[in-house]
Amino acid sequence: MNGKERILARLQNGTPDSLPLMPITMMYAGDIAGIPYGVYARNHEALVQAQLAVADRFDFDYVSAISDPAREASDLGAAIEWFEDQPPAINESKALIHDKAVLSGLALPDPAAGRMNDRVCAVRMLAQKTGATRIVEGWVEGPCAMAADLRGLNTLMLDFGDDPDFVEALFDYAVRMELNFAQAQVDAGATLIGVGDAAASLVGPRIYQNFVLPFEKRLLAGIRAMGVPVRLHICGNTRRILKGMGETGAAIVDLDYPAPVNEARAAMGEQQVLLGNMDPVRALRDGTPESVTAHLEECHAQAGRNYIVGAGCEVPRGTPIANVEAMTRFARTRQ
Amino acid sequence: MADLQKLYDAVLNGDQKAAIAVTEQALAEGITPLDLITNYMVPAMDEVGRRFECEDYFVPELLLSARAMKGSLTLIRPLLTASGIEPAGRVAIGTVKGDLHDIGKNLVASMLEGGGFEVIDLGADVPPEKFIDAIQNKGVRVVALSALLTVTMPSMRKTIDALKEAGVRDQVKVMVGGAPVTQQFAEEIGADGYSDNANAAVALARKLVAEGAPA
Repeated sequence: MNGKERILARLQNGTPDSLPLMPITMMYAGDIAGIPYGVYARNHEALVQAQLAVADRFDFDYVSAISDPAREASDLGAAIEWFEDQPPAINESKALIHDKAVLSGLALPDPAAGRMNDRVCAVRMLAQKTGATRIVEGWVEGPCAMAADLRGLNTLMLDFGDDPDFVEALFDYAVRMELNFAQAQVDAGATLIGVGDAAASLVGPRIYQNFVLPFEKRLLAGIRAMGVPVRLHICGNTRRILKGMGETGAAIVDLDYPAPVNEARAAMGEQQVLLGNMDPVRALRDGTPESVTAHLEECHAQAGRNYIVGAGCEVPRGTPIANVEAMTRFARTRQ
Repeated sequence: MADLQKLYDAVLNGDQKAAIAVTEQALAEGITPLDLITNYMVPAMDEVGRRFECEDYFVPELLLSARAMKGSLTLIRPLLTASGIEPAGRVAIGTVKGDLHDIGKNLVASMLEGGGFEVIDLGADVPPEKFIDAIQNKGVRVVALSALLTVTMPSMRKTIDALKEAGVRDQVKVMVGGAPVTQQFAEEIGADGYSDNANAAVALARKLVAEGAPA
């Protein structure tokens, strides 16, 4: 089986020849290819070169166009801070929707322009170069993350209590924008879409259930209607919202290290494909090949057969090559 | 008479308007600022921290409570200053150079303030010189450094090294935190303490002050 067949077999309740391997790599991929991250995030050709390099080097079953959460916000005119060799960041003190009235006049950005288009181009190039044998993952922001990118994370957290109607209007805008962005990536050849909604890990079960989950469901349903499966990635402590995450319609649910695999399995049932939850820093970067293998063994044992190998979040810069090789070795020798 | 239990409830429930109203009434009736802080606001924020730690409260609830507390403190702080009452300690806090992710820092700052500390919030992406200035000119006894990204963790070491080079390292205790930060890393870079959550950061700051960060 090639990587694409392996992942699809897992998602379609088939029998892959070994565990699929889908660790998120961004800065790590840039480092492997010798590309500064400021270039990686701005130039799709550099991103593609790095993704192919890391996938070839470690026999990953997929490549991804994920890079940073600032593409959509950047195209909308938000203040972005750029760095030479780390991801760009949104400057919350100059949040685009600092004034709530801005939202009503905000047009949806065109995914065929700007930094969103750069990601679409990355997807297209990845699909051309490796799409026959690997899954090509596009990426969009989830409603809570996108709202935080535009409104400011701290302010959004207060908005939940102060102005729920505004939050819903902002989430609605975010979902409409991300559906357009996802469609453009699917049209360019993405065979899976990742949805990153990290801010959702901060809000607790009540707000997640009442505000976030309905919009995540709408977003994921829309993407699935485009004919591709969805990977839901909420990094952080999702322990109290695991049940809801299992109701989003995601084909793959990522688990960061504070969310135990066995609790996720209990909350989501046997059929849900899980990925994670190895601590990217303490277990993967700071561990040894032996300890990495032991961690993965435990994760796999808790998850059962519907499992994909990966860390809780991005493979951190500075992770020893031997530790990533241990992930590969583990995946290729287990079913 | 002001019902001071309402101040406790207002902070706990994140009701800024009620917190300010009760504080105004209490001060007008001659209740001392220290009484309000010590017997109502600090216990309320202690309870907020407890609920946060046991995952009953989450970030929105904590920030709403912090905002309510700050509303009261705006009224109270000038009176404390005029009375010459010293805080539990002065803490300079910020995310280190290169890191713009400040929600964790804001949670810790709020909990420290709720714990009776005076917090000098230097914001996000803070160069070492600003921490040095706060130590030299604002009576800071504890420096709290935050980083969310693995790539900005080296800025924590650089900040501590800069404190040494400026000759002020011995004047303060340094505590560090943030998702990728570990106890081991804290020790490697020469920090005095590490906390993995906002509530525990208050206990750590109290411990560091008690251990003898110079007055």
